[in-house]
Parts: sequence; structure tokens; C-alpha cells
Amino acid sequence: MMVAPKSHDKEAATVDSQMPRRRLLAWLSGFGLFASGLLAVVSDWLFFKPRVTYGPNARFAIGKPEDFPPGTRIARDVERVCIVREGNKIAAISTTCTHLGCIVAIADTGFACPCHGSHYDQDGNVTGGPAPKPLPWFQVTLAPNGDVVIDKNASVDPGTYLTV
Amino acid sequence: MRLPLAIASLVVLIVHGVVFRNQFFHEWERHQSAYIEQARSMSKNDRERKELETRSPRIEQIIVSSFGDTHVDRCTTCHIAADDPRFAGHAEPLKTHPYSTAMGDVQRNGQWERRHKFSDFGCTVCHDGEGRGLETFYAHGEDEFWPDPLTGFVTQANWRKDFSPKLKGKEYMEANCAQCHTEEGFAGTPHVERGRKLFYAMNCYGCHKIDGMSEGTLGPDLTEAGKKFKVDYLWESIVEPRANLATSFMPDFHLGQADVEALVIFLKSRRGVNFAETSLDRYKAHVANVAVVIPPGTAGEKAGQQLLGDRACTACHKLGDRDGGIAPDLSYEGLIRDDQWLGDHFVNPRSRIPDSIMPAFRFPAEDFERLSAYLVSLKTPPPPIVDAKTTFTNLCARCHGDKGDGQGKVAWYIDPSPRDFTKPCFMASKPRSRFVASIEEGVGGTSMPPWKRILKEEQINGVLDYVMQNFAKEQFKELRARNIPEKNPVASSVDSIARGEQIFELRCNGCHGRKADGKGPNSLDIFPHPRNFRNHFFVESVPDRRLFESIEYGVQGTAMPSWMDMLSTNEVGDVINFIRSFQNTPK
Amino acid sequence: MTPTREPRTALTTLRELPQNVWNSIFRNPLPSTDLERSSTSFTNFFLHIHPVKVNKNTLRPAYTMGLGLMATFLFVILVVTGVLLMFYYVPSTTQAYDRMLDLRGTVAFGIFLRNMHRWSAHAMVAIVFLHMCRVFFTGAYKRPREFNWVLGVLLLLVTLFLSFTGYLLPWDQLAFWAITVGTSIAGYAPLIGQQMKFVLLGDTTVGQEALLRFYVLHVAVLPSMLVLLVAIHFWRIRKDGGLSRPATPAPPAPDSGVVKLKKVYGLQGFVRGPFTKLGNVPDDSVFSWPNLLMAELFVFVLTISLILVVSLLFNAPLEQPVNVMHPPNPAKAPWYFLGLQEMVSYSAFWGGIGIPGLMVALLFLVPYIDRTTHGVGKWFAKERLLANTIFLSMVILNVIFIAIGTFFRGPNWSLVWPF
Repeated sequence: MMVAPKSHDKEAATVDSQMPRRRLLAWLSGFGLFASGLLAVVSDWLFFKPRVTYGPNARFAIGKPEDFPPGTRIARDVERVCIVREGNKIAAISTTCTHLGCIVAIADTGFACPCHGSHYDQDGNVTGGPAPKPLPWFQVTLAPNGDVVIDKNASVDPGTYLTV
Repeated sequence: MRLPLAIASLVVLIVHGVVFRNQFFHEWERHQSAYIEQARSMSKNDRERKELETRSPRIEQIIVSSFGDTHVDRCTTCHIAADDPRFAGHAEPLKTHPYSTAMGDVQRNGQWERRHKFSDFGCTVCHDGEGRGLETFYAHGEDEFWPDPLTGFVTQANWRKDFSPKLKGKEYMEANCAQCHTEEGFAGTPHVERGRKLFYAMNCYGCHKIDGMSEGTLGPDLTEAGKKFKVDYLWESIVEPRANLATSFMPDFHLGQADVEALVIFLKSRRGVNFAETSLDRYKAHVANVAVVIPPGTAGEKAGQQLLGDRACTACHKLGDRDGGIAPDLSYEGLIRDDQWLGDHFVNPRSRIPDSIMPAFRFPAEDFERLSAYLVSLKTPPPPIVDAKTTFTNLCARCHGDKGDGQGKVAWYIDPSPRDFTKPCFMASKPRSRFVASIEEGVGGTSMPPWKRILKEEQINGVLDYVMQNFAKEQFKELRARNIPEKNPVASSVDSIARGEQIFELRCNGCHGRKADGKGPNSLDIFPHPRNFRNHFFVESVPDRRLFESIEYGVQGTAMPSWMDMLSTNEVGDVINFIRSFQNTPK
Repeated sequence: MTPTREPRTALTTLRELPQNVWNSIFRNPLPSTDLERSSTSFTNFFLHIHPVKVNKNTLRPAYTMGLGLMATFLFVILVVTGVLLMFYYVPSTTQAYDRMLDLRGTVAFGIFLRNMHRWSAHAMVAIVFLHMCRVFFTGAYKRPREFNWVLGVLLLLVTLFLSFTGYLLPWDQLAFWAITVGTSIAGYAPLIGQQMKFVLLGDTTVGQEALLRFYVLHVAVLPSMLVLLVAIHFWRIRKDGGLSRPATPAPPAPDSGVVKLKKVYGLQGFVRGPFTKLGNVPDDSVFSWPNLLMAELFVFVLTISLILVVSLLFNAPLEQPVNVMHPPNPAKAPWYFLGLQEMVSYSAFWGGIGIPGLMVALLFLVPYIDRTTHGVGKWFAKERLLANTIFLSMVILNVIFIAIGTFFRGPNWSLVWPF
């Protein structure tokens, strides 16, 4: 497959008659390679986006409703959530400080962060310190087997409770 | 060359396309989609239905590290219905994992409760298999290179055909139960038990060593036989000892199939480690089995005394010559509190003193009875005290402080805090009768006990005078009559309470908190802390008149201001109705 | 009359933007004249590796079979797939195997990329070996190409070492014991063997240290060395005047009286002169653009399509997790070392160090032992019968040993009949 210098007319004639075929083949090759390239790029994006991470699950069961007696506020530091139960209603408030991410402690007045002194009231609203936003409330649902399930990827309006 | 180039380019494209397509429509996505469909049709309310509509398949993981290595179990990606009781009748993989009493599951209120929760155990600890795999072939351990195929369910392709059928069966899983349930005679592992008996009955123990069971040195050490070998190898080693080592002199014992199976299960359970033993277990065993050995027939009181010593009560309280320096003195408890009070307080300290920090120990009821009996027996009064100063130092200073400033040894741990007598105006602004009553009857819902059974009237008066002179440094004054109703003129009603609540939200919750528990945002900086109105013992013990006085005139020596200019008498009455409406029930 | 210019507006700037951007990057038109074709070699960054013209014989598939190019492209594929795999692999004895499981189970395209990497690696070892054979059989190592041959042998060794270090990374039984065997063979070297083994493994036995060292060698040190050597190898090809080829035929006798003048421009003329050649110059060269480029493209597409098909059809092996107590029986080195392992079973020193060492030394010395200049540029030239025979027998012997080691050795290295 040589592109001969233009000076040889006889060869040029042969070349000319082969052009449609050559063009088709060139086009096919180009198309094949270009489309493969596109697929490869998309595949790379899919490859890099992790489908699993090894940290704790964002959606998890925290126990049965009976594990949280009415009137209690129980903090689970590992899951970074405080389960509030009032009567028959359960809610989950994040215990990650909205300032810079430390774990807030439960205080009598609500929550208090040891790192930079942010204070929150019982519902997670900021009452003092550098925290810019109130503590988010997480979605609480009841699994088919009776477990209370917290989903940290789903925030709900403060004051939203699950009735059990 | 153009033609081959074109062909090769198209081959490249086709392979890219095929590989790309294979990354979608995984087996597990199909299973999860089927589950979501069916769960949606089964859902009982709109909220559930809506959640399921927006749910898309994703990889589910349970990561468990309590069993040696970290297990990453992705089984619930396909077996998504494993914990959904509604799928008990479906076919695998969308079948609910069975419940059974043999596995420790209990039925409560008509619903099964799993003893071995998936979030604590994962799946592979009991079932083996390859937790990280997402295709059946790999996940179930059918790949012959995987050392732990699904016990009792999967046989690998390179296993001998004459053994493979015998290596299937749920009973093989008992080998994994025994990883934790190592005790002999455990009801859930009869095959392990039978295997253990055979291990001795057929003299295996003579040649083979298993840690804790035998010391044989002629054959290989079997302490970790279950960890090292698959069940087909174990089976083969028993029925054809020379199959793997031509020079073995292990006899062929001509065992029946049931016996071989029991031995295989028993050996598979030998993993050299017991996951169930944690330091918490050992502690519980210690507590339950009583490091205190109480001889049978010991009277309750003596037993209580022994328990008190063993349960470290004096790590906080004071009794005899031991003093933890954190909690009140128990030396005269029999004179101060009664049986009922003590019993309630033991089971839940906050049922008697709502802001107490004493933990609710989970001792058996019997222990609480014995402890109460002992404390109630402490009825010996202190020797008669001559002067007020000594009285104060011996009985009051622990909480109120040697200087009467409310900074006694244990004051920090007590809520409401012991009164600071040095706060100006407070002592002088109250009638003497109130203080006498406080000392004699105690203050409801607080740690101030009733001293009337210990101190005589003249002692009480003497102490009071001592306090006024040395700490308050003021004299009781003739107080101007204040225009305060004796009783609340506003009758309690739903409307009154609602109005009171509104006023409370507007005026009071900055200090007293939205729930009137004294934990408002301002309360952190206030001392003494704002009153906790949820302390119903306290609220019930004070008359309306006192509440009116505190609200309208404020409380000198504290941060409670006077509201006379802001609230009318009726409004104050509404607030008082609101405060009294709490009783025991939360808002 | 001076030409008037349109006043420049923001809109025109915007409208011309795409064209301006394109023209600023691609400043030369697609070649359509010989001059333009010649200039691609110095107007394009990537194309300046090409000479302006190449001898048309070197482009014949039957001559080189594109083996050198194939090896290079395989290396490129290996680097790309290797870097992608690095995003998920962890060189820790506790995590490596689990990460391999994850690559197989959860990572999108994980299986496929790993397959590509593995089969490309095996292919590269085979191809560079075949390339070496081709170069020998066409006598392309002779003067002035001796040093390029030496570079090639070095590249062979680096390739083998790259494959060896990569073999350990899955941390399964296959990997662990293969490397245990391989490094033990290295330990037989006299005087320095044990020291070398200790430095290589970072410990007395294969473990976390070895895994880490092999990983660093495999992803950083050896690829850099290879790239450097390949760069010099290509440079040398250019400096040697291109790939070897048969000596050009004598120019045709001049026509009576008429002397056709032809000017040929050559870049090498700058360096060596003369800048132009006049007279009857045999013209069996063709422009690199587009001939060489198309040849390279073709080899690339062929290589990658083969690798893709093989990776689609065959999965790379992942055996049991490492169990240091339980060597497989037999424990075999990677296939390219099996010839060595077979020889080692006869004599540890001679089979592992002596003979291989001798063979490598001889390989290095080939162009300095054979100082003849005939027979370059064609396969199995009759003048080179002796050299070709010796080399071919060595090759065949090696293949036989590898075959024995692969198929005919069973437990305890006893002879078995595999069928």
C-alpha cells in the first residue's frame, strides 16, 4: 500500500480506480477506531467511579424501637448520629458538627462541640459558636423486619419524626 | 493492507462494544429490580411505595471485623430480601433467610427477631463462600481455587465424584456454629457433638493433637484442620488415608457414612480460635457468676453489705471508712430513706432524682433487694452533736461546702446544685420557716434529704443560725408583705395550659429550655442553674404561692428576674398551670 | 492602492475563534506535495521520530513482521492498563488478594483490564524474544548496529524482570511460589547470590517487603529504565540510517549521453553531507508520510485487536490466597523461566546461573564475535549458515526445555505424561 509519487501516470490510473474502495475502507477503519476511542473514554469514567467503598454504610439499621426508651436521647458515636425518642416518635440527628466535622457531644442543653465551641439546642439549631448550619436530621424508616433504619444520605426537615 | 486494517478496526470496535455492554445488566441488578418491583406491590403505605419507586439497584455490603480478618460480604446484593419477612415463600435468591429457634431467634409480638443480626455477623462467617464476589460462580465459592466454598451447599468441580453428594447438607453448617459455640453438648450442633464423641471413641485422640482436647503426636495436628482443609479433603483423609500421602499408616476404620459425616463436621469446626470470647463476656461472666460468693441462707442485710463492697458503691458514695467523694453519704440512709424509695432509686435513679448522674446498673432484682435491705438497716444515728459548727461540718459541708458556698466535695455532681448560702440577698429574702422546712423535710426531687429523723429541732435551728451568721452574713429581716395569691386564681384548663405554654415559649425557654427542663441555651452560663420543671417531685412540693413569688418578684441571688412588669397575675397563673401540667408525661 | 481592512469587531473575533484555535495548533496543512510530506518530520512533535524517507524494503511485513513495533505497542498497552489498575490495587500482603477479588467482582471493567494487562505481558515477553530472533536471523546486528543489539538484549532482560516483578502482585499461591522458586534460583549465584536475594526480597523470605519492593520496581523503576532504553534504541535506528536491509543494487548503467539529474534532499545530509545527491540515485525509498505511519497504525490496530479478543475470551488466573505453609506440588516459575527451572532440576548452579549466565553473556557479545558484514537484510542468508544454525538450535533447545517444564513435569518434578 504505497502512495507513489504523482509522476507515474499509469499507476495513478490504477490508484484512481481504487479510490472508492480505499475511501470506504479508510472510512470504516476511522469509524471503528474513533468509536472505540469514545467507548474507551466512557468506560474509563465508569472505571474510575468506585462502585463500592469500604467505610461504614450510609444506610444502616440502628436497632429496634424498644432499644430507645421514650424520653431518651442516645448518641451513637460510631455512626455519628443521635437517636431521639419522644413518646412514640423517633428521630435521628447528625452528631457531626457543621463547622469542621468534629463529633459533638450531648449536653443538657442540646449538643456541644469540643473542638471550637459550637453549641446547638435540643433540635440541632445553632445557639452559639462558629457552626454555620444546624445539625441535619436524617431519614428514619422502619424496615420490614422491624428494625429502625437510618439513611444518612437522605436528609429530612428538622422536626420530622417516624411514628412507631 | 487497507482491508485487514479495516477488519481489525471493526474487531476492536466490536470487542469494545461487547465488553461495554457486559458491564450493564448484571445478574444482581436483575434480582434487585425484581425485589423492588415485588416489594412495591406489597407495600402498605404511600411513603413506602414512594421510597421504592425512587430506589435503584446498587451493591450492598456488610463489613464485619470482629472475626479475625475483615469480612466484606456482598451477598445481600442478590439476596436482597434476606431480612424482609414478607419473602419467606419466594424462590432464591429473593428468599427471606429462615428464622429458627435453633439459631436463637425469638418471636416477639408475632414478629421474628433474629439473634444473629446480619449487621453484626455478615454472611460468610456462618456460610463461608466468597463475600466479595458478585457472580454466583465466584460468590458461592464454586471456583475450585477458593478455599471456602458455601459449606453444605456447594461442591467444587475438582472434588471426587464419589464424595461430592455426601458433602451437601445443612448439617455441615454446624461446623461454623461451633466457631463460637464451643461448649460441649450445645443443642444447636448435634453433629459436632457426635463427631467429638467419635474422636474419642474411635481413638483418633491417640494419634492426633487438638489443642485443649488431646496430645497425640503420631498424626498431623488437627487443631486448625477446619481452617486448612476443605470438607472433601477431610472426608478423603478419613475413608482413604493413603490417597494424599502414600506413606501414611493411618488405619482404615471402615466407618459408616453418618459417622464419617459427623467426624468431618467436627473437624471442620476446628479452627483454633473462639470468636465468642470477648473481654465483655468475661466481665459478664464475672458479674453473673458472682465474684462475691454469698453463702446460701445469708440474711438479706449481710448479703447486701457484701454486695455493696463488691459492686464498688463506695467508688462514689461514702460509707464507713471508705469515701469515693462523688456521691452522698450513705451512713444514715436507714433514717433518711425508706425501702420503697431505695428500691425505686436502685432500678432507675432518675425516677426519684430526675437529674441524678448515678447509672442504672443492670443487676438482678435480687441484688437490689439485698442492697436495699442493708441500707435500710443503717439506722444508727450519729452521736449527739453539741455545737452547730460540728453539725454543719459533719453533715452539711459534704454538699454545701465548708464555706457554705455550695462548693462541697460532691457539689459538682449534684443537680440541682446545693444551695450557695453566700449569695447576697437570697437567704435574707425568704422566711425562716421555709428553710426550716427544707432541712426537716428535705427538698423534693433533689439530693437534700429529710434530716428530721437525725437532727432535733434545736439542732436544726442552731445550724440555720450558724449559716446565717457565718455564710449569709445577713440577718433575717422582717419581710414586707407581698401581694401574692395563696392559690392560683386561674383554674387549670386546656386553654389556660395552652396560653401558659405560649408565654413560656416566648419568655422563659431561653433559660428554662423549650422543654422546661432547665436546659435552655442560656443555662450553661447561669449558676445556680435554671429550675427543671420536669422534676415533678419538686414541682409538686412547692405551693402556688411560692411559684407566684418567684415569677413576679424574681429570686434574689439567682438569675431569675422579676416579671411583674411584663406579666399580669392571670398570665402568671396560666404559666403555673402549664408548669404543673407535666407530671410524668413528656410534651 | 493599499488594501482596506475591515474594522475588527468583537463578533468577528468570536466567529473566527474555532478556526483560529485550530490553526494555531495545526499550523501546517495535511500534506499533498512531496515537500509537505517531507516537512512532517520536523513540523510535528510526534512525527519527528520518523525520518523523512524510509527504505521500502523495511516496510515489507514479511521482513520484520512488525515485531519490534508490536513489542512497543504492547508496552504502551501495558502502561495504560497498568496505571488504571493502580487505582485499585494495594501492595499489602493483607489487602492485595482482596483487591484482586474486587477488581474481578465490583470494579467496572476490572476483569477485562486485568486480562489485557496479563495477556499483553505474556505476549510482550514472547514478542521481544521473537524480535530478537528476527534481528539475528536477518543479521541486523552487524556493524554499525552492534550497540543497538546490546541495547536490545538489555531490553530483553528488563522485560523479563518486569514480567517477573508483576507476577508476584496478585499475591495468590501461583504468584507467591513462582517468585519463591525464581528468587531461590537467583540465590545460587556464587559469592553474591544470597546477598542479592536478600536485597531483592528485603527479607529472607518472600513477604510484605518483597511485595513492596517488587511493586515499586514494577510500576516505577523498571518502566522508566525501559522507556529510556527504548528511546536510545530508536535513536540508534535513526542514526544507523534506518532498519537494516539488503545492500542497494548497483546503479543502472548511464544512458549513452543523457544523464538524468535528480536531486534528493536528505536531512542526514546536514549531518554527514552531501546535502544533496546528484546523479543516478537508486530510489527505493518512500516517504514516511503516509507509508510508515500507516504501517505503524496497522501494527497497532492488529496488536490491540488481538489483545482485546484474547482478553475477552480468556480470564487471567487467580488461584488460592497465599498459604505459606502449603506450597503447591509442583511449584512452577512463570513459563519464561520454566526452561531455567527444568535445567535447575539437573544442577542448581549450572542450570540456574551457569548456563543462563553464559547464554546471556554470549548474546551480548554476538555482534563482537561475528565481525562479518555479509548477509545483512535477508532471512537465513546462505552466507550465515553457521551463525543461524547455532542460534536456532539454542532457541529450539530453550523452547524444548520450557515445553518439558510446562507439560511434562508433575508432582515432585517427576516426569508425567500430560495427555
